[in-house]
Order: sequence, then C-alpha cells, then structure tokens
Amino acid sequence: MLVRAAFALLALLASTSIARAQSGEITVMAYAGIFQDKYTEAVIKPFMAKFPAVKVNYFSSGNSAQMLGTLRTQRSSPQVDVAILDVSVSNVGNKEGIFAKLDPAKVPSLKELHPMAIVPDGFGPAVTFDHWVLVYDTEKVKPAPTGLADLWDPRLKGQIGLSAMPNIQGIAATVLASKLAGEDFKTSIDGAIKRLKDLGPSVQTFDPQPDGYTLILGNTLTVASGWNARAQLYHDDSKGRLGVVFPKEGSVFQINTINHVAGSKNAEAATAFIEYALGREAQKRFTETMFYAPTNAKAEISPAAINRTAASAENMAKMIPLDWDWVTTIRDSWNNRWRREVIAGR
Amino acid sequence: MADDRPSQPGLAATLSLPAIAAVSLGFLLPVLWLARMSVNPTEPGGVLREGWTANQYVELFTDSFYAELTLASLQMSATATLCALLVGYPIALFLYRLESRWKTLLVLLAICPLLVSGVVRAYGWIVILGDAGWINSMLRGAGLIDRPIRLVNNHIGVTIGLTESLLPYMTLSLLAGLGRLDRGLEEAARTLGASPLRTFLRITLPLSLPAVVLGSTICFMLAVSAFVTPRLLGGGRVLLLATEIYEQALVTLNWPLAAAIAMALLALFSVVLVASGRLQRRVAE
Repeated sequence: MLVRAAFALLALLASTSIARAQSGEITVMAYAGIFQDKYTEAVIKPFMAKFPAVKVNYFSSGNSAQMLGTLRTQRSSPQVDVAILDVSVSNVGNKEGIFAKLDPAKVPSLKELHPMAIVPDGFGPAVTFDHWVLVYDTEKVKPAPTGLADLWDPRLKGQIGLSAMPNIQGIAATVLASKLAGEDFKTSIDGAIKRLKDLGPSVQTFDPQPDGYTLILGNTLTVASGWNARAQLYHDDSKGRLGVVFPKEGSVFQINTINHVAGSKNAEAATAFIEYALGREAQKRFTETMFYAPTNAKAEISPAAINRTAASAENMAKMIPLDWDWVTTIRDSWNNRWRREVIAGR
Repeated sequence: MADDRPSQPGLAATLSLPAIAAVSLGFLLPVLWLARMSVNPTEPGGVLREGWTANQYVELFTDSFYAELTLASLQMSATATLCALLVGYPIALFLYRLESRWKTLLVLLAICPLLVSGVVRAYGWIVILGDAGWINSMLRGAGLIDRPIRLVNNHIGVTIGLTESLLPYMTLSLLAGLGRLDRGLEEAARTLGASPLRTFLRITLPLSLPAVVLGSTICFMLAVSAFVTPRLLGGGRVLLLATEIYEQALVTLNWPLAAAIAMALLALFSVVLVASGRLQRRVAE
C-alpha cells in the first residue's frame, strides 16, 4: 500500500515536472472560421488541460500565403511560435529560413507518421490530409454525380462552381482531368486543358465566393469543387442536403504542415505543442471532429469517421500522388493555360 | 498687415510639416518599399531572396499577357466611368437645380452607398443579378426569356458593380463643379429664345465640362485600382491589373512581381493625372 502510494506520488511529481518545463505562452497561427473553432476544441483545449502552465493563443490571418506574408514581416521578431499552413507555402517558408527544423528526439511522434506526411530535411511534417471532392445539391442533382466526368452533363450547364488555378483546387482539377483524358500530367496536360476548355461555358464561376458549399446551399450553384473536411461539416450542418463525392477518377491530397517558426520565443512549449498535435490522441480527436485524414498512422480513428476521409483503405488506393514541391515548378505554365484556354476560351 | 500673406515665410513651411510627415510615412515610404521589393529575385514557388534583378520588369514588358491585362483594365475602367457619368450627370443636375427642403436629404441619399462596405454591396449585386436573382426571375416571369441571362460572374456583372460603386463619387464631383455654374446664363439663353435642349448643349454642358473631367479622373483612378468588385462579381473570368496584383501577392506568393505590377500601375496613374490636368486646363479656357 505504502509502496503504491509512493509510486503514485513519484508519478505525480514526474508528470508535474514535465508539465512545469513547458510554461508560458505560445501563439499558434492557422486558418480562421470553422477550422479555428474545431481545432481549438479538438487540439488546443486538451493541450492546455494537459499542460496547464502553457497558454495557447490562436491567431488567424487569411489563407496560407497571407500567413507566410505575416511571418515574413515578423522575421526580426517573430510573434508566432507554431504555424499550420499548406505544404506548397510552407515549402517556401522552409527555403526562406522562416521555419526551423524539428528535433526528432523531442518530437517522437514523427516516427509514427504516414510516409507521405514526412517533409524532407527535418522540417515541419504534415498534420492534416484533406482531399479534392465534388459537392452537390442532393435535392436538385439526381442521380448523384460520381466523378469529374459527370460535370460535362448538359443538365448541369451554368450551375457549376469550379475553383480555377492559381487556387490549388485548380491544380487538383487539372490532375484529375488528365487522368480522365488518359494522359500523364507530368508530361502533358493537353488532353486535360482541352476537356476543361469544353467545360468552360458551363461553369457559372471559376472563383466561387465565399465558397462552393455556401453557394450551393444558397441556390446559386448545384455542383462545385471543394475540400473534403469542410464539405463533410457542411453536409452535417445542412442535414445531408450538401452531398460529398469522392470522385471515381481518384483525388489529390491537400496537405497542411505544422511548423516551428525560427526564432520563436518559447521553443520548448512550441515543440511540445507540435508533438501533441502529431500524437495519436490529438490526431484521433481532430479527425473525428472535422474529418481531415490523420497523418499519424498509429492513430485509432472510429470507423464512422475514417470512412468519411481519404484514409479508408478503399479511398487511399485511389489517391493520385502529387509532389507539391514539383508543382511549384510547373504552376505558372499551367496557370497560363487555364487563363488563356480554359477561362478565356481561346 | 497690408496683405494676407504670412509675415514669416518659414511659418507656411512649418505649418505644413505634419502634412509632409503624414504623406512621407503613409505614402512615400510604402512606395519606396514597393519599388525595392519589385527588384528582388524570386525562385519557383515564390521563394523570396534579397538582391537585385530586373526580371520582373522584363516579364512585365515582354509577356503579352500583361499588355492584355493593362488593356482590359483600361477598357473596364473607361466603360464604368462612362456609365457612371451617364447616370450621375442627370442626378447631379437634378440635385443642383432642386429648390426644396428635401435637397440635403436627397444629396445624402445619393452618396449613402458609401456608408455600406463594398463587399456587402457586391454580394447585394450577386443576389440581384444572379441566375435565380430578381432580374432574371422578373424576365422569366414576364415570359421574355426561358433561360437565365448571365449577368454576373462575367464582365457585365463587374461593369454594373463598378458603375454603382463609382456613382457617389461622380455625383459629388459633378455637384461641386456645377456649383460654379451661373444660373443667370441659362435663364438668359432661355429668354433669348433658345430651346431647353439648345440651352443644355450650348450653355450648361460646356460650363460643366471641368467638373466632368474632374469626376471622370477620380472615378477612372478608383476603377483601375478597384479589386473587391471585380473579384466578387467577375467569377474568375475578369482578369485585371488589380486582381493580378492580389493573386501574385496573396495566392502565388510572388511579391516582387506583384510589386512590379503595382509600380507599373502607379506609372499609369501618373500618365492619366497629367493627361487629365491638361484636359482640365483646356476645357476651362
């Protein structure tokens, strides 16, 4: 009895000393809106419960490029410790020295990550996987679309919202259209551009504002491109009126990475937060809250949630691998073709 | 004191110091920073480096896409300015002539759209102009069309939205200019037997030309730099210099190219200002 009490006391002392090592305040920068609400609920609050001495501030500043812009201006005196943003943008931050490498000894969860989550040279890895989906109005579009190919259905003419390049949804759409055209997007996108150009006049907007989900529920569109996680939330909020389709052609991952800002004033707590965010517990909770696929391969997600992400075995097999670092090298030329051929129809 | 000039020559300079400081801090410094940014080198993906290069300007002047963008911007701004003038002139003339206790209220009404944010007004236009919007519903209800006409997410939508956002500025400039119009001249023309149309064409219009030039200049500048309206009402189809700056800066992360386009736009502004100044002097003579 005495021994057990002594052990309990020791364990308590040990845990409080770990918690004490992490103290002070950190600022996490990530997306605004629904992401902020869900991430705070699923990851930040439980983290603060585990490390009561650390206060986490959430700072949102527009899209990924705007976040990097904020970090660029704060270079001499960073006000942000941890940033969650799109991998194509965090790659730029890594090359500019805005983000620091992680110490694998302090972030043991790195070993549990999916191979696709690893960013070379020890920089911040993927923290969420999302994927390109079609969303549609289940009350108006019958039968339900099954993939990108269905957008050419004349019944949908004028009711389509397709986010064009340079939005990364446009990059994903190009890759899928290439697959549809039976070509390899790494060598040519001629077939994809030709098809998308034919689709052009049927598209109501190439830049849905504020987004496709809202425009469908507001009766402006009936089909749009989107990202799975947000689409799933709108599906639930609209009591199933917004339908979400994993395209039969496959899909492309949108990857958010979690990054340690170089020169952050509280590196200790920032690293602890990154480790927590990548850990099984936080990954499970955030996937079950917002349907981003987990990047931690060991996280045990409930079957109901996993089937609504790309992480189910069936969906995973259909994902088309896309190297976002390679994308930066062809982005301008693809963008020009979208503008001149798909949008302007020349 | 015999004249009303300040007795100490230094006083005027001293008094304008705060204004000079505000202009340097609020305008000159950012422009200099922008000019410096526009010559920094970049790497694929938008990686920004410190250094010197003319690449952005070479791209700007050799890629025909930017010539098309400039032309599209000038066209769109000129069209919207002209529409605002055509709509705003009668309104301003009516308000100027009005002798009623409601006059102040009506002038306020003409400029009250400025109290509502441009974003909200753009969304309002989406509701009115959309495929299922008021106009299409009315036309369909009247049996005039069987398919909705696309009035938004294209150039038509942006032109309508821009015209509406310019209208208060145009009306205000015209009202200010018309204030200098001597009503006695119009009355003299009428008593001498000129028809109302002739009076307007020979007296009112020529005398209001300085106000027309001023209002058009202000509206043109606002239209060229407008970005919210083209973005929200253009459906990704209306590509202009201002939307391109936004995309390069905040989507593709190419800050130097965005800065270079902004500098080019600034040069364009200077040309328009000089031209308008000359025109103003000419019509005043």
